[in-house]
Amino acid sequence: MNGSQHILEAFHRHNISTVFGYPGGCIMPLYDALVDDVDVEHVLCRHEQACALAADGYARASGRLGVCIATSGPGATNLITGVANAYLDSIPLLVITGQVPSALIGTDAFQETDILGMTLGIVKHSYLVEDAGDLPRVLEEAIGLAQSGRPGPVWIDIPKDILLSPITTAAPERPQAENRQQQCPDIREAWAMLKAAKRPLLYSGGGVSLAQAEANFRAFAEASGLPGVVTLKGIGNAGRHNPNDMGMLGMHGSRAANKAVDECDLLFVVGARLDDRATGKLDGFAPNARLIHIDTDAAEINKLRAADIAVRGDLNAILSAFTTAAEQTPLSIGDWQKQCQTWHTTGGFRAAGNEAPLTPITGPAFIRQLSGITPDNTIIACDVGQHQMWVAQYYQFAHPRHHLSSGGLGTMGFGMPAAIGAQFANRNSTVINVTGDGSFMMNAQELATIRRYNLPLKLIILDNQCLGMVRQQQELFYNNRESQINLDDNPDFVAMARAFDIPALHIERTDQIRRGIETILAYNGPMLLHVAISREENVWPIVKAGSSNREMIDEPRKTSNRKEQVA
Amino acid sequence: MNPTHEIASPSYTLNCRMNQEAAALERLCQVVRVRGFRIARMAMESSEECLEIALTLEGSRPVSMLQSQLEKLHTVIGVEVVSGAASRSRTA
Repeated sequence: MNGSQHILEAFHRHNISTVFGYPGGCIMPLYDALVDDVDVEHVLCRHEQACALAADGYARASGRLGVCIATSGPGATNLITGVANAYLDSIPLLVITGQVPSALIGTDAFQETDILGMTLGIVKHSYLVEDAGDLPRVLEEAIGLAQSGRPGPVWIDIPKDILLSPITTAAPERPQAENRQQQCPDIREAWAMLKAAKRPLLYSGGGVSLAQAEANFRAFAEASGLPGVVTLKGIGNAGRHNPNDMGMLGMHGSRAANKAVDECDLLFVVGARLDDRATGKLDGFAPNARLIHIDTDAAEINKLRAADIAVRGDLNAILSAFTTAAEQTPLSIGDWQKQCQTWHTTGGFRAAGNEAPLTPITGPAFIRQLSGITPDNTIIACDVGQHQMWVAQYYQFAHPRHHLSSGGLGTMGFGMPAAIGAQFANRNSTVINVTGDGSFMMNAQELATIRRYNLPLKLIILDNQCLGMVRQQQELFYNNRESQINLDDNPDFVAMARAFDIPALHIERTDQIRRGIETILAYNGPMLLHVAISREENVWPIVKAGSSNREMIDEPRKTSNRKEQVA
Repeated sequence: MNPTHEIASPSYTLNCRMNQEAAALERLCQVVRVRGFRIARMAMESSEECLEIALTLEGSRPVSMLQSQLEKLHTVIGVEVVSGAASRSRTA
């Protein structure tokens, strides 16, 4: 067995059945071994960045390890954005690249890059395999490391000669699977602080689903009755119908969620890292609140805001202990719950719109209808920009793994490859890529991948003929001086999809929304819906970067009304 | 070198033990830089298995934050703040 065959054997041992990759010179031995392997499905994307993002989407939607493969040099460097994307959102990824033969490393050989050095800051760990005998250990370690504790991408760079070398060392024994029911740290002090609070608020993030602690989170939310806000990556934690969930906070969060954070006297933070897009200016964030911080990663505790009490460990065990405490001695926060529900009613994102049928389509109106029409298990992969925020604001997610969004890195071009990965992970689910015209063009070549595998996923472009989020910020914060945001020379997206043999439909009026969505959902195969929206539409509310969430700016025509409702 | 920066920033001494592995030292230095510290002095000894690194650092951020980030590195066996350590908050 050579190095390449050993890699495939490791895939089999770890039930890795789908990988995303692109072949090239130094990785050819692995691709040669793939010819004889019927158990590993290799998905050929059309760009290495898409391979990494598809593996990321696969991992996000399934909770399993995503795997991507590329050759040395440009193959490896093209992966970087996708790997950084996974790193910033703590997504478990195994990245395998070929490297020039060992003897040529350091000679500026053809397609040689020091990918190990270039990627140190965007991986959980990385390896350059220098001895064929190390490969079995490195593979086992990397696969375990990517998925344990706080997950993340692990990169293995393998010289071509090692891919061809005989491997005589056996794979080390797999460590015992991590026991999710770990010993729980002492929560008594934290519970006493929570119990004493008059206006406690549950603040949850992506750590909940990363720890696969959704059920325990919901049990605790229900037992405690805590009003809750979520970060972008925490959307879906509370499900579609929790009356205490006020949705997303932060830069484009609801006025209700930001108001609750501003007024609470205790923040109960679960699996969130207090990112600047969520907190706004830290000095003004939850100014009256003490903070209990629950997280797996010790480095997140006290990183940006000092915790009064930190509870570090497995979220399942910790949340379960808090649930027991809440069931035994319920919290007395009825007045606070009512106050938050009132804020949510008057300052949350509206559940239903009242747009006139012949008017141009707005982003919120479209997403509200999409949310109402699609089934509960629909997976939405977003790109980055205004459409991403409208999805976060107006789509009601049943589960955090249904909402695939590039939170940390904010990678335009994430959506389509992520949707491809999600569809491979969930063959029978409805998977929709909601994108903008700018983001769509960042990885448009993946239409060929969708066609090749006849994936039934749906593509929705909210096309405002510009980089809307940048235009909006130029309008609001740069004296309306538009700079390099115009995309009115976009291609004909309907014709473009058809060129890839993907049927497509164009809509532009509010009364066409329902029929458009129903048509693409009913079609047995991939289909694109091109939605023309106004260039001038903005995402509201908005907090200027670096400002306090208290300084959020509302839609001008609604400002006076809102002030009366949420005072 | 910025003399004002040098005067204003507190100084810390850390001892760090790491496994011998490709790019181990680069990884350590990269984290120190990204997390807002400057290496004023560095000494390293290597044995067959380990690297023993003594670092004198300057930076205005809490050194406990850097320590937490260094301890996350897979190749790091241990980090000890020898001088200038700030106290950590309670962790259950």
